[in-house]
Amino acid sequence: MSSTLLQFDNVSVKYGDFTAVSDVTMSFFEGSIIGLIGTNGAGKTSLMNAAMGLTPISSGKVSIAGEDITKVPVEKKLDYGMCLVPQGGHCFNRMSVQDNLLVGGISSKAKHGRDAKSMRSDNLEKVYDLFPILKEKANVPAGSLSGGQRQMVAIGRALMSSPKIILFDELSLGLAPVVVKDIYATIKKINETERTTIILIEQDTNRVLSMTDYAYIMLKGKVALEGDSDSLDPEEVKKAYFGI
Amino acid sequence: MNKKKIILGLGFVVIGLLLFTFGEVGLFSNNAMRYLLQIFIYITLGEMWNLLSGFAGMTSLGQQTFIGIAGYSIAMATTVYKMNFGTGILIGVGICIVTSSLLAFLLLKMEGMYFSITTWVIAEALGTFFLSWGYVGQGAGMTISISPYPRIDALYAMSLILCFVTLIVVYLLLNSRLGLGLTAMRDNISAASCMGVNIGRSKFVVYLIAAVFTGLAGSILFINKGTIYPESGFSIGWTISMVFIVIIGGSGTIEGPIIGSVIYVFLQEFLAHYPGWSNIILGIIAIVIILYMPEGIVGAIRNRSFTKLLKKSKGK
Amino acid sequence: MYIVQVLVNGILLGGIYAGIGLGMSLILGIVKLTNLAHGEYIIMGAFLSSILTTALGIDPLLTLFVSVPTMFFFGYALQRVLINHGMKRGAEPALLVTFGISIILKDGMLMLFTPDARHVATSYSNSVVTVAGIDISLLNIILLIVCAVFIFVLKRFLEKTDIGRAIRATADDTEAAQLSGINVAHTFAIAMGIATAASAVAGTCVSMKWTFYPTSGGEYLLIAFVVVVISGLGDICGTLLAGVMFGLMQVIGGASYGRLISYIFLIVILVFNPRELMGRFLRDRRERSLSKKEVKADE
Repeated sequence: MSSTLLQFDNVSVKYGDFTAVSDVTMSFFEGSIIGLIGTNGAGKTSLMNAAMGLTPISSGKVSIAGEDITKVPVEKKLDYGMCLVPQGGHCFNRMSVQDNLLVGGISSKAKHGRDAKSMRSDNLEKVYDLFPILKEKANVPAGSLSGGQRQMVAIGRALMSSPKIILFDELSLGLAPVVVKDIYATIKKINETERTTIILIEQDTNRVLSMTDYAYIMLKGKVALEGDSDSLDPEEVKKAYFGI
Repeated sequence: MNKKKIILGLGFVVIGLLLFTFGEVGLFSNNAMRYLLQIFIYITLGEMWNLLSGFAGMTSLGQQTFIGIAGYSIAMATTVYKMNFGTGILIGVGICIVTSSLLAFLLLKMEGMYFSITTWVIAEALGTFFLSWGYVGQGAGMTISISPYPRIDALYAMSLILCFVTLIVVYLLLNSRLGLGLTAMRDNISAASCMGVNIGRSKFVVYLIAAVFTGLAGSILFINKGTIYPESGFSIGWTISMVFIVIIGGSGTIEGPIIGSVIYVFLQEFLAHYPGWSNIILGIIAIVIILYMPEGIVGAIRNRSFTKLLKKSKGK
Repeated sequence: MYIVQVLVNGILLGGIYAGIGLGMSLILGIVKLTNLAHGEYIIMGAFLSSILTTALGIDPLLTLFVSVPTMFFFGYALQRVLINHGMKRGAEPALLVTFGISIILKDGMLMLFTPDARHVATSYSNSVVTVAGIDISLLNIILLIVCAVFIFVLKRFLEKTDIGRAIRATADDTEAAQLSGINVAHTFAIAMGIATAASAVAGTCVSMKWTFYPTSGGEYLLIAFVVVVISGLGDICGTLLAGVMFGLMQVIGGASYGRLISYIFLIVILVFNPRELMGRFLRDRRERSLSKKEVKADE
């Protein structure tokens, strides 16, 4: 029986007078792949950025494995195993691919002390196994890579910290379908081998529903619909998505 | 709203007339007039720096360029060319206009820190140059020779008029189309240019106006002092006082520099007892204000009354 | 022959000029801040060198073992306590905070140390080495080596260590760095500490080569600024080249016009805005050699 790893309780996010997220409650079970779907402006990114601590949460609670991490600063969230791959991936363009990955491993060093060095090289090997092209381009500045490859660097960097849960914000944005398919296959592999909890934030309903165990559909800052991905009625999903 | 403006406007004029009359009639002691002169000069300087930095986004660290130019113009005109000081002031303003126009070509191409450091470099370069320029007496400086030398009440009147004219000009400027463009620029420069605000021209006009009034203030300052040296004319100290006044009073407001100048002049008086410490204490106060009360005194008062207003309307 | 001698000595001075510009370049490139107090940091370094040399009776270069860590902690503390806070308020407030710090430091030093001129003389201050008929100042050679070694060590540090990577990452993309677990406030403070430590080195060199006053800070801020503008931001190698260029300008201009030439050069560069003169040049060369090796992209 899997337990709840990440929990949002009545989370609201306000920017001045504007409410981006309103009273959202979500549970993310350990080892599962969960989808968060919605149009532009539905509040998905606002919710995730606030959960990570990039922007302040106006009210509500975020907890990991029962521990309240609402007030934990961004850089410490990684210590709890929570990791975000932001929209566009965001590589350190002037640094080499390998340096990018090694940056991802910085915090795990603090966690594991003496074992850190071997853990880091193990993780690095795992990332290179998953994305062989990155090994080829290890010493090339990340900025000169293609969009898909940069996304791989961002994912690899996230994996370097041995996270328990990874949030992917619109992974497919700006990428060719073939590339997206490959990346999602890799993510599924990560979930299966490492039992890492995955949250996929996307606008593309069909792909997400086919890949995930559970899905939330957001509209105008609220949860419009939720349920097991395979039992959700496509008509209901469409209604919730567009707000009909 | 209009009624409020009329009342404020009338109040402004009345205060101006009262201050002027009291000075003429002799109600103010010489000492009081000395203080008020300082305050009026600093209000002028502060308003101009505020215009540049708080509204047009140009953080100039080199306004002393124009203070020095105006001061030396008056010194040269009266001492070497035996002109009367009115002409000297006009010449000073003229040179300021020419200089600022030329500098504008250079400076307005620069953004942010490049602009700031260059304004400072230019002032420093001028100071160094004047130090070795025989024409202006090099390090020995020059005196301002006017006969008969204007008395404190005449200087007081001049500074009062300058101050009030400055305030009127600033007010008119900010409420003109140019001014609205400036405020738009201050808040979002790309949006402003999209909406047709001619940024280059606005900045140019502001820079020129600031140069002129800073120069005028400089003229009166140095007539009051009697002598000018490269270190005093082009000293970074002028910028320090302008920055302090605007920060403490509140950047981006008209009332800010007024309050800032009053505080500054009295603070200087107090700090004169601790030579060597004055800039340090000013610096510490300025840093504390920037970090903990960035809107300045005027801003803080406005926020508090605004928040009280909000709370009242919400409480209903 | 005389001309060659002048040129060689000028090039050697490039080391010190690079060292002067290094701290400012680091802060500008990493923290994206213009530190108007930079000149005062260098003068502090010069005073530390002067005081420690007199107090401990050792060679000024040995005082670096004390002044470098001291200045590092000073810079770290200042950034962590004051400047980070100022930066939260915006770019202009941050600039004004550094302006305030520069005034406080300058007048503080004036009160502490009197306005007298200072200089640190050593037994080899005026020694000359004759190579192929030209007289080269030994001091210039030594100071160049000191600065070059420091720059080299710093470059290795930034490239090979975790903290170095964290600093580079924060400079590149602050948000992504936070998401990778990097404490940005701490990293900025470390960068500032390093820049201040670099100023300690530069200040020691300045104390040995020239006379200085508590008010000399402005002069060195200007030099740093010129070096940074020529070299482009954050590029360490470019700083060395820019330092050499500046050194050449100074000796060509001589004592009276050297300063004027730098002012004019600076203004010319700023107007025509080839801001990353050196940086872009070096980057293009690097990218051209890389693209020859690169495998064809897959999409």
